[in-house]
Amino acid sequence: MLSRVANLVYWMARYLERAENTARIVDVNAQLVLDLQSRQAADDPKSWEPLVYVTGDDEEFFELNGETVSERAVVEFMLFDRRNPSSLLSCIGFARENARCIRDQLSSEVWETLNTFYLKLKGDDYARYAQLGSSEYLNRIKSQIQLFYGVAESMMPRGGLWWFFELGRHLERADNVSRILDVKYYMLLPDLHAVGSALDMIQWASVLRSCSGFEAFRRSRRGQLNLERVVDYLLRDNEFPRSILFSINAASQALDQITAHASHLDNNPASQHLEELIAELEMIDVPEVIADGLHEFLDDVQMKISGIHEAVQATFVDYPTASAKVLA
Amino acid sequence: MPDLFANYEHGRFYDEMFASPGKARPHYRRLYERFALMESMGELLDRQRTADQTFIDRGVTFTVYSDTAGTEKIFPFDLIPRIVPAHEWAHLERGLTQRMQALNLFLADIYSEQRILKEGVIPREMVESSKDFRPEMLGCKIARDLYVHINGSDLIRDEAGVYRVLEDNLRTPSGVSYMLENRQVMKRVFPTMLRDYRVRPVENYTNDLLNLLLHLAPAHVPDPTVVLLTPGVFNSAYFEHSFLARQMGIEIVEGGDLVVENDKVYMRRTDGLAPVHVIYRRIDDSFLDPTIFRKDSLLGVPGLVNAYRKGNVALCNPIGTGVADDKAMYYYVPKMIKFYLGQEALLPNVETYLSSNDGELQFILDNLPKLVVKSVNEAGGYGMLVGPHSTQAQIEDFRAKIIANPRNFIAQPTIGLSRAPSVCDNATIEGRHIDLRPYILNGETIKIAPGGLTRVALRKGSLVVNSSQGGGSKDTWVLNDDITNPPVPQPEKIIV
Repeated sequence: MLSRVANLVYWMARYLERAENTARIVDVNAQLVLDLQSRQAADDPKSWEPLVYVTGDDEEFFELNGETVSERAVVEFMLFDRRNPSSLLSCIGFARENARCIRDQLSSEVWETLNTFYLKLKGDDYARYAQLGSSEYLNRIKSQIQLFYGVAESMMPRGGLWWFFELGRHLERADNVSRILDVKYYMLLPDLHAVGSALDMIQWASVLRSCSGFEAFRRSRRGQLNLERVVDYLLRDNEFPRSILFSINAASQALDQITAHASHLDNNPASQHLEELIAELEMIDVPEVIADGLHEFLDDVQMKISGIHEAVQATFVDYPTASAKVLA
Repeated sequence: MPDLFANYEHGRFYDEMFASPGKARPHYRRLYERFALMESMGELLDRQRTADQTFIDRGVTFTVYSDTAGTEKIFPFDLIPRIVPAHEWAHLERGLTQRMQALNLFLADIYSEQRILKEGVIPREMVESSKDFRPEMLGCKIARDLYVHINGSDLIRDEAGVYRVLEDNLRTPSGVSYMLENRQVMKRVFPTMLRDYRVRPVENYTNDLLNLLLHLAPAHVPDPTVVLLTPGVFNSAYFEHSFLARQMGIEIVEGGDLVVENDKVYMRRTDGLAPVHVIYRRIDDSFLDPTIFRKDSLLGVPGLVNAYRKGNVALCNPIGTGVADDKAMYYYVPKMIKFYLGQEALLPNVETYLSSNDGELQFILDNLPKLVVKSVNEAGGYGMLVGPHSTQAQIEDFRAKIIANPRNFIAQPTIGLSRAPSVCDNATIEGRHIDLRPYILNGETIKIAPGGLTRVALRKGSLVVNSSQGGGSKDTWVLNDDITNPPVPQPEKIIV
């Protein structure tokens, strides 16, 4: 397939996945705030601030909103502000724009699902969010994105287009999960002595919920909900589809499909980087990682995902013409 | 029984359907009877809604992209078909084939020996001053000696019903996707009438086009790769580009997808560089290659022209065809037909005066209020004077311009295009002016899809059929057999 087309569908998937994670994070935080119970804590701007850091767009946020952090400011920034390139609306807008460019290669159901969603979404604002209530509103958003995935999964032929879609989606998911984990850890648990408190339990449950992993965790691992166990689960559970290891494995399988009929692309830098990250995640000792600094470790994972992304671009999209393989 | 045509106003123009008020021409009688079976306009309007919805469902839309909303609109479609009897079509086919042959010989000559200039049939400066003349192509051998592959000639019928050529479109004529989609929609809306009429199918067009493109590939390539080069998704004709690419099963590419290495063209795929042998390009010459033509073009492919000159890749249409559809060159097409084929033009031009001809200059200046004056180097209605609709000041302004630069202008009488019944304002059937753009393919043989795009000026009284000016389209039905066989109206005199 054409490099340009591959890149468009790859980014379309990344934007959609990012949009979904944004909706999940806002949703879980809104619930968490309710769980804090104490009125004071609920009104505390601090309870919304972590979200700003999750996306890595904190500088952008403070530039646009000053130092005031409020539910309204954060929700507007994360869901509806087009000036924020990672907002839900921006992401869905970009995804739709990419889909439009390859519309002739998507089935009409796939295109229409995304287009209808975007056209509806762009009329929404904070008032609409507040009117429906965060939970109801965000559930609708998540369902729309899930609907798109469902339609795409049942309609798209398993060719190059599909595998680049899978590659983008899973790399983005791995990155997003690492950010959720990082921020909760970084913002909410600066003090390791708070481990084991009631608040601690609630917060780890909320981390799992952000990734829709609470129930799955409960089923697969009995016993206490604690830092170590949650980190281990989200970093490298083999069965949970939103764990980092699972996502990286899925990305690696997609890449194998992409290069299946091109022997000159065996052992390309992108698949090498993927293999290395998989091996690393399988090998680590979680208590040791936490003791050495989870933030540093997650930072490193994000750097590696970004390295994989760059290798994908350099191998399949922006490769230099002069050294490229000329096909028969 | 209600008659949907009861209040139809015949007018002073040639009417495609009615020979005289209330009297349908033989080939329209069946349609007339079919419409008489309808209870009211309501039934017709229901079918119109079905048709419109079908266009939306099939994605035959263009995007109004001024804001991020991306509103999809359809090109207005009129339900009442334009019917062309078999003998009329046979006449058009002969005339268009002859014209295509002459234009091809002209382009071959202009970029090689230039006999027609040497023998003084066309003044040399007329050719060399054309902005679409490409001296870079002089002496360049073109695949299969085909110097033009696709022409979308615009035909009109005058007040007497004579078919005339209004202009040729030898660069990247558009609209053929509407010819094909209009038929698909009519199959849903009027299946029985379509069958009863024995309408000739147009579906073979994309197949013929693909065969033409394959025919152009360098001879030594056993399994050539054909691509369609588009300016991109923001182009208003993008729907057509992607439609044709899908129909032919070829890749649609943008300039950035193509690279030239060692004078060979490749497309950038995820697994490497795949060779490209034929490019059906839908971008103008001047944007094709920034190293040769416009330096600021981001749409093109650096090095493409050299690969083309070496014969490693074919372009459809070839570079430099625009010189033959220049408005001043149009004047000379009947002379080309005479010069190269030794024949009179079967399809006449619209009467045209060239202000660079001494005798004609005076005539133009004396008759400005009656004439349409067009600037040779501009298109899309720019630099144009429509005498009957202009103020004295505008006329005087043009008079000065013509005198200052007579070579830059042509003039034509205002022509009352033929009219055909059309559904107007969702309420009535009225006569509206139409033209016809058939698509002529010049490959191993000359092939013309039996039909074309009939454009209709839906605004009352308007003679402008362009979609930007409220124009729409109709399906064009070329009949397999003649219902009766009246002669095609012939012009009283042929302008040479």
